[in-house]
Amino acid sequence: MKDFARRMIGIDRRIIFLLIAAAVLLPLLRPFGLPIKISPEVRAVYDYIEALPERSVFLLSFDFDPSSKPELEPQAVALLRHAFRKNLRVIGMTHWLTGTGLADDIFSRVAAEMGRERGKDYVFLGWSPGAGSLVIAMGQDLYKAFPSDYQKTPTQGMPVLEGVKSLRDVNYMVSLAAGNPGIEMWYVFGKDKYRFEMAGGSTGVIAPGLYPFLRSGQINGLIGGLQGAAEYETLIKRKGTATAGMDAQSATHFVIIVLVFLCNVFYFVLRGEEGKSN
Amino acid sequence: MIFLKRQLPLAVTFVMGVAFAIQYYIPHPVSEEAITNVSKWMQIISGFALALGLASIFHVHAVKIKRQVPGWGYSIVLYAAMLATIIVGFWSKGETRVNGAQTALGWLYDYSMVPLQGTMFSILAFFIASAAYRAFRARSREASVLLVAAVLVMMGRVPLGQFLLPWTWDVTQWLLNVVNSAVRRAILIGVSMGQVALSLKIILGIERAYLGGGRDQ
Repeated sequence: MKDFARRMIGIDRRIIFLLIAAAVLLPLLRPFGLPIKISPEVRAVYDYIEALPERSVFLLSFDFDPSSKPELEPQAVALLRHAFRKNLRVIGMTHWLTGTGLADDIFSRVAAEMGRERGKDYVFLGWSPGAGSLVIAMGQDLYKAFPSDYQKTPTQGMPVLEGVKSLRDVNYMVSLAAGNPGIEMWYVFGKDKYRFEMAGGSTGVIAPGLYPFLRSGQINGLIGGLQGAAEYETLIKRKGTATAGMDAQSATHFVIIVLVFLCNVFYFVLRGEEGKSN
Repeated sequence: MIFLKRQLPLAVTFVMGVAFAIQYYIPHPVSEEAITNVSKWMQIISGFALALGLASIFHVHAVKIKRQVPGWGYSIVLYAAMLATIIVGFWSKGETRVNGAQTALGWLYDYSMVPLQGTMFSILAFFIASAAYRAFRARSREASVLLVAAVLVMMGRVPLGQFLLPWTWDVTQWLLNVVNSAVRRAILIGVSMGQVALSLKIILGIERAYLGGGRDQ
């Protein structure tokens, strides 16, 4: 038993890699489609957008790069579909230079799918340096911070920005963040001073760190990781890549739980045997 | 020279630090105009950080190649990739799309950067599983608490766990909203107080490491 336990504890890591690969691939090929439960923090974002009057101004900040695409793209797509369905005016931007192309692609794709027009229903401002100071600049004067959008069209006079002078005129804001600059920065330099309501969407890794902001009301909702994205897809009744990915995530979590359990069984077997021999 | 190197930066830091700490509480048009202009300056200065970063990475890897330190071949790959991206970027005039058509820069972004970054992040799942198997052991009481909490959250955050053990959902929500929030809040308050103290030390000229040149500064 002792030898078996020792052999199993030192198992070739490539076997673990194979198990994880199977846990990811098999549910994607044969999904089992379990129901998704909705958490209060995700429902809060949905309810707030749902309650906004038509043509309200919704700012979506894509604060991530391609490395977080699997988790944050489904969140962005679901939020944009909801906002366009509600006929909101959507302003998009990013604080992450390497995420600019990805953000523009997501924006253009969802807008085309929902039949929305650039400049009239939405605008993608692109990237500008400064992070916190950019948020302050937008709070003071949006047109000085972004004189033109990502397509180099002057922002001044755009129908989508009619009546919008600064962040004070934004009705709701969501930062989809994979780190800093992201949700915390938007709160500190934006919401706190320019008084707009905001929520966050984040990768699963950083979501637990944002719960204090949620509990204190500094953000009114939080979409965490692929699970959060799947919850939002369920709320808007439009299943997408997040819902499809949840089966793979379920299976992967279970493989890891079983591995941790087995590793502890072998550990206690070895410890018990060593205790006896002493 | 000592005035330009030492007294002037200290004076600028003190004046700007005090002025913009007070500015936050004065919503007068003059004060608002000042923050509008200064935020634009800060944006411009932040832009220079990119140029500095680029120069720094070129320098670090040039040294590695020159000294042929272990792994210097990777530095050549980095140089080649950076130069290729810069050349393609200039050639495409910095545009990823023109009239809906993808440019060379757009192709490079969509078919190399996006999959490469995605692959790097995806590999983490394999290494985390392997590391969890080897290191996640109930060696002590504290490690056991962490282990149980982690397993419960892993169950409660996925549909299969919620289906097999529905109570893990409520336990997970409680762990995230109460226990996790309390601990994170304590860390945040500590870090924030440290930041306030450090900012005050910089504004008052007590902390001068940012001037460079060691302790005698």
